[in-house]
Amino acid sequence: MNILILNGGPSGARGGICRMIRETVENESRAKGWNVTAYDLDGMDIKPCRGCFACWLKHPGTCAIKDDEESVHRAMAGSDVQVWITPVTFGGYSPALKKALDRSIPNALPFFIKVHGEVHHPQRYENRRSFVAFGTLASPDAGAERIFHNLVRRNALNLGSVMTESRVLYEGAEKAGLAGLFEELLHAAKEAK
Amino acid sequence: MITPTTNPLNKRKALLLVGSPRGKASSSYALGGFLLRKLETGGMAVAEMTVSEALQSTENQHRMHKAVDASDLVIVTFPLYVDQLPAPLIQTLELIAERRKGRFAASPWAGPLVQKFAVIVQCGFPEARQNQPAIDIMRQFAKESGFEWAGALAMGMGGAVKGKSLEKAGGMVRNVVKALNIAAPGLAAGGDIPEEATALMAKPLMPLWFYRFMANFSMKSLAKKHGARKQARARPYC
Repeated sequence: MNILILNGGPSGARGGICRMIRETVENESRAKGWNVTAYDLDGMDIKPCRGCFACWLKHPGTCAIKDDEESVHRAMAGSDVQVWITPVTFGGYSPALKKALDRSIPNALPFFIKVHGEVHHPQRYENRRSFVAFGTLASPDAGAERIFHNLVRRNALNLGSVMTESRVLYEGAEKAGLAGLFEELLHAAKEAK
Repeated sequence: MITPTTNPLNKRKALLLVGSPRGKASSSYALGGFLLRKLETGGMAVAEMTVSEALQSTENQHRMHKAVDASDLVIVTFPLYVDQLPAPLIQTLELIAERRKGRFAASPWAGPLVQKFAVIVQCGFPEARQNQPAIDIMRQFAKESGFEWAGALAMGMGGAVKGKSLEKAGGMVRNVVKALNIAAPGLAAGGDIPEEATALMAKPLMPLWFYRFMANFSMKSLAKKHGARKQARARPYC
């Protein structure tokens, strides 16, 4: 099993809880003997998507911008489980995570297909892939959390995910409690595969 | 740069923030720019700025904050990227929110007492409802940053606008034009976007099956034009 972890938390003290989640997922996955690729996106050279569609029309499957995102594309294409970690930002994702996701368009095909009665782009790399998203908040916020969970469900549809989970954790979450939660989620991902 | 297009003295002010990475060449700008011109005709002083300009330098960020502070109405127009806002727009909203939260706590409010916030979002999928997560995020931003929500206009099949001005886009966008015409007077008067405008904006421009057919055909033709038709389904990372 190939696990890809995308940590969209800010570098520095503010990203502490995101890093703790990343480390816990990484340790739990390695303990199971799975291959782990993890990125702390905030410190990487990833430029914003410029909407040129060259990745669909000129050199299908590769982005026109050459920077650190290329290795993220490669890891996304080969992943069995994707774990996204982000501060919940107005209910959505952080700019660092979103920049990497905006640039992942080459991993989809330009064509339109119908999925559950709606039009979507098929994946370029079909795989029975699971998708787990962790959001972090300073304290509970029902409105922001509802938006976050809905957004993850929408993304799962476009990713063609076979098992999707989203959780919101608050500042001060205990590392020990997290390990049990991940154990359960990773087991579900393996079953779905 | 902030481009004021009218004399701002004694007029209510509207600011258009363009969240598309394609800036003023985008379909998002075609929609937002049309609404802005209607607001100007309706008596508002208007200004516009792209998100990429705002993020270019600290000086430009300062200009953006100043323009936001002075506005009675802020409109953000953007395309749907991976089910929500493009990353640079999230970054811009974070800057605005952080500053406003700091200022509210540190000093008295010096701008208009009520600042309205409206959104135009378009996606390449035929279903306008696919924009809903992005609208929810924008509404949450407005709540967290002390703006009063004025509503959203969301359209599908945005690719059909192709960045052209709506005046040149033809009869296909007649409902979009109607929606923006209906929305403008209410917004200019400090009100919300009427439901009628929201409903018209969300109407499909053509039958769904035809849009899907045309979009797939157009993608194949463009790939062929660039000599990439046979590689359209390539898997370079296998």
